[in-house]
Amino acid sequence: MQTTVDRLDKPSAYYLGRNKKRKYGRDRDDDDVGRQRTPEEPDDPLKDAATLYVGNLSFYTTEEQIHELFAKCGEIKRLVMGLDRFHKTPCGFCFVEYYNHQDALDCMKYIGGTKLDERIIRTDLDPGFQEGRQYGRGKSGGQVRDEYRDEYDPGRGGYGRAIAEERQKEEDEYGKGR
Amino acid sequence: MADYDRRNGGPRGGYNNNRKRRYRDDDEHDRRPQRRRYEEPLHLKVRKQLLGVAESPLKRTDEEISSIAKLVVDNYDDEAIRRQFFDLSLQIVVEQPFKIPFVAAILIVINPQKPEVAQEILTRAAKAIQEYLEAGHWREVKLVLRFLACLQGLLEEDGVFPLLEELFSRAVDLQTASSEDSLGLELVKIILLTIPYAMASSATGFEERALALLDKTDIIASTPHALEALVNPYPGNDEGDAQEPQSIINLLQKQLQGEAGQSWKLACIPRPWNVRKEEDTTDTAVASKKHALPEINIPSPVAPGPRPMLPEIYFSVYADQDIETVPSTSDVASSILRDSLVDTINILDCNRNATAKFLIDLDCYFSAETFVKRATQFDKLRNVEEGRSTWKPEDVAVDAVFSQLLQLPMAEHKLVYYHSVLTEACKIAPAAIAPSLGRAIRWLYKNVDGMDLELVYRFMDWFSHHLSNFGFTWKWTEWVDDVQLPLIHPKKAFMMGALEKEIRLSFAARIRGTLPEPYQPLISEAKEKDTPDFKYSSDQMPYSEPAKEILRLLRAKAPDTDLQSPLSTIEETAESLGVTDPLVPSTDAYVTAICFLGSKSLSHVLSQIERCKDRLLSIGAKSELARRQIITSVMDYWHEKPGIGVNVVDKLLNYTILTPISVVLWALSDQLGKGEGLVLSHVFEMVSSTVTKVTNRVRQIVVARNQPGLPGDQVAILDETLSKERDEMGKLFAVIEDGLVGVAGGSVDDMAESADQGLKGEAMLRGWGGRWLRVFRRKMAVEEAWVQETMSFVVQGVDASGLEIAVEQNGNGEAVGDGAGEEMPEDEALAGIL
Repeated sequence: MQTTVDRLDKPSAYYLGRNKKRKYGRDRDDDDVGRQRTPEEPDDPLKDAATLYVGNLSFYTTEEQIHELFAKCGEIKRLVMGLDRFHKTPCGFCFVEYYNHQDALDCMKYIGGTKLDERIIRTDLDPGFQEGRQYGRGKSGGQVRDEYRDEYDPGRGGYGRAIAEERQKEEDEYGKGR
Repeated sequence: MADYDRRNGGPRGGYNNNRKRRYRDDDEHDRRPQRRRYEEPLHLKVRKQLLGVAESPLKRTDEEISSIAKLVVDNYDDEAIRRQFFDLSLQIVVEQPFKIPFVAAILIVINPQKPEVAQEILTRAAKAIQEYLEAGHWREVKLVLRFLACLQGLLEEDGVFPLLEELFSRAVDLQTASSEDSLGLELVKIILLTIPYAMASSATGFEERALALLDKTDIIASTPHALEALVNPYPGNDEGDAQEPQSIINLLQKQLQGEAGQSWKLACIPRPWNVRKEEDTTDTAVASKKHALPEINIPSPVAPGPRPMLPEIYFSVYADQDIETVPSTSDVASSILRDSLVDTINILDCNRNATAKFLIDLDCYFSAETFVKRATQFDKLRNVEEGRSTWKPEDVAVDAVFSQLLQLPMAEHKLVYYHSVLTEACKIAPAAIAPSLGRAIRWLYKNVDGMDLELVYRFMDWFSHHLSNFGFTWKWTEWVDDVQLPLIHPKKAFMMGALEKEIRLSFAARIRGTLPEPYQPLISEAKEKDTPDFKYSSDQMPYSEPAKEILRLLRAKAPDTDLQSPLSTIEETAESLGVTDPLVPSTDAYVTAICFLGSKSLSHVLSQIERCKDRLLSIGAKSELARRQIITSVMDYWHEKPGIGVNVVDKLLNYTILTPISVVLWALSDQLGKGEGLVLSHVFEMVSSTVTKVTNRVRQIVVARNQPGLPGDQVAILDETLSKERDEMGKLFAVIEDGLVGVAGGSVDDMAESADQGLKGEAMLRGWGGRWLRVFRRKMAVEEAWVQETMSFVVQGVDASGLEIAVEQNGNGEAVGDGAGEEMPEDEALAGIL
């Protein structure tokens, strides 16, 4: 039964939305079938999920800091830092894998949305880490969100890279024109 | 909220008036015309209003109640509405206990017009409580009972009292059967917490009945529990400032007796039902329509269930202030408020934001005169008129969170949950909550010397984590005098431990920046260094040449066989120098090189260890001393960042390169000194996480063994494993005991009398030994009792699946055993503490 308050250990809208998109993309024709199946999907990939995606980290936050905070919800089995695809430097996300599903749920409830290294971090249940997922999928190697960000974020490399590039170009051209 | 009492004397015949007001409210809400197009289905409207009842300080609760009542009465034909109302009402009762009286009030308002509504609710409530009783879900039993008690005015004859009496007779049975029974105490607590609501209800004339019941519970509730000392949060120290623990049930009994003497004033309980009374002049005959409480069978013997295995002690961080900001323990309000708060906090762990909101809105759910206005400054309390409440709602709320965070032997949820509740509360209402937290921190720090050591570390952990969420700002200047204290002083040790923890969540330079000048030396320059030096780089260091060779080979990922030559060189040199165990210096070089190569991050050191696993495993097999040298090398390398060292040790335990006993021996024998090792927070952390690893394993085996339907041969295998692991656990505790008794030994009188500084220091160290002992003796007693009780249920053929609830984990990754203790053994260790 639905609880009288919302639970914080549910997968995010991002996760659900992404799944939906993929599903509709695949079998566009039987949309309705897909929609009916979704709620009580027999093998929910998150049913026993013990892994979390952790986002909005500072590029400078270390594994040890992450460990220090996340171990408060249980022993950590594995910690995979998100890396820039080209530079192999931290790019502001990671995967934390616990031994128990319950620890991951508790982490959603008690740690997601609190601060680490003075930034509010985001946690999302994850079906499990796979090789390759530790790399940023943005054009320049980092996370996509850092590509076009037009606010300055000192913890995540300043302006978005695409935007920073554009600025640089403008500046260079302006200099040339003179 | 504040308004409804005023309505008491307000204009009469208010029903119409009320209706108009309601419509006016609606008009105000419907300002935007486009909204009109969508008419919310009525059952959703009922849901929304019911969920929001009493929540807003801006709405008048009596109007909310009559609005819901009217919706239900007017649309009673609507199946969806009926279902919504019945289901949700009972769900609110067990999920949002603050709202119980208000839900009850709705029913009392509905009753004169539609008596069948109350009849249906009572039927459902009885069914629910029956299920909870059979499952041993005592908290839910208590909450549904409270709901029934609030409805006492609608009940025929004696209402809930016969039920309470039957519950009491079960408690008597349990208490007579065993003097260490904890279930019977839980039942008595439930009875005592139900009485006030029945007495505050719209029913009258039950004074004698209540008093008679109180007379009966007295003998059980007032007998001091044999194990109280085990969970005393303030056992005191060498200077002897122990505090007498006050058991919750004992306090409650006294408070209720006091309340009976004051004609059951029960001032803090809200009485939303009273408002309606005067307005229901229309048809008194129907208004008094009463219902029989459907039959409820209390099983005999009652089902055991999750419950505190050790006595619960009343804990308050605002106890000795010159102005009362929380109810004193002589006032029944202290128990009533605390009980509702604690339930709310523990039930709603799925949404800390909702919990925090409830804490902030605490004053909405109790009678109007209970608290001063929110966020009233402490100093302003002096101006409060004589005879009016000086209780600060935020203090009462924060106090309840601390009571859970600092609950012995363990809290219901992981400790980080309580951290997060305080963080959210602070975010929602910083002006109200932050000063309250400040006073709590000051009080806890002031009393840190006499506090149970486990609680000191819980406090430290919370404190550093909390600060990390609020820019690491704390008024360190307040404690500046304590910077001069010796390292072995509990206050200084707390300070050092807290700073270390802050650094672990951040980094040294950042934390140093938050500290005033006198604190600067506490964080050394060396802490800022990311990669500690490889000590063998210096040629002054013995064995430096072969050690450098080891490093080179490891870095080049040379095959393990290549390493034998430099390692042998060290061992041969050592042997010629007369070193007793030549494997020790070679291990030092090997492990130090591994640490150095893995210094970049935990993953680096882990992959390094993985690569060297076989050799590392063989070291321990050859020599116990060399095995402990692994720990020494790791902790020496990470001397400035012991947190990392502790983590590495933990991983080495998982690889079984280290054994739990080796870790404990290292901490409590090799590194003990005269006991100086005991003051370091990371040493406690290392030992306690090692112990937890072992106890968790035992618990997991027990749970696996108790799975219903397990084939006999598997049970036999698990039984064998279990007995082996329990043996190991016993040995581990024995080693801890041995190490600590030595430090703690010596008569207490010696310590107190000695004026000499050196002796004083020694006395302080003995104090540390004693504090450690308490913690680990308690852990042992709890674990032993848990295993015994959990196993005994299976032997008795009770379905063990229900017990899995009891194996939730708390903040330290320890399994929490609520369901233990019925057969607490008269353990030697226990006797030792008492």
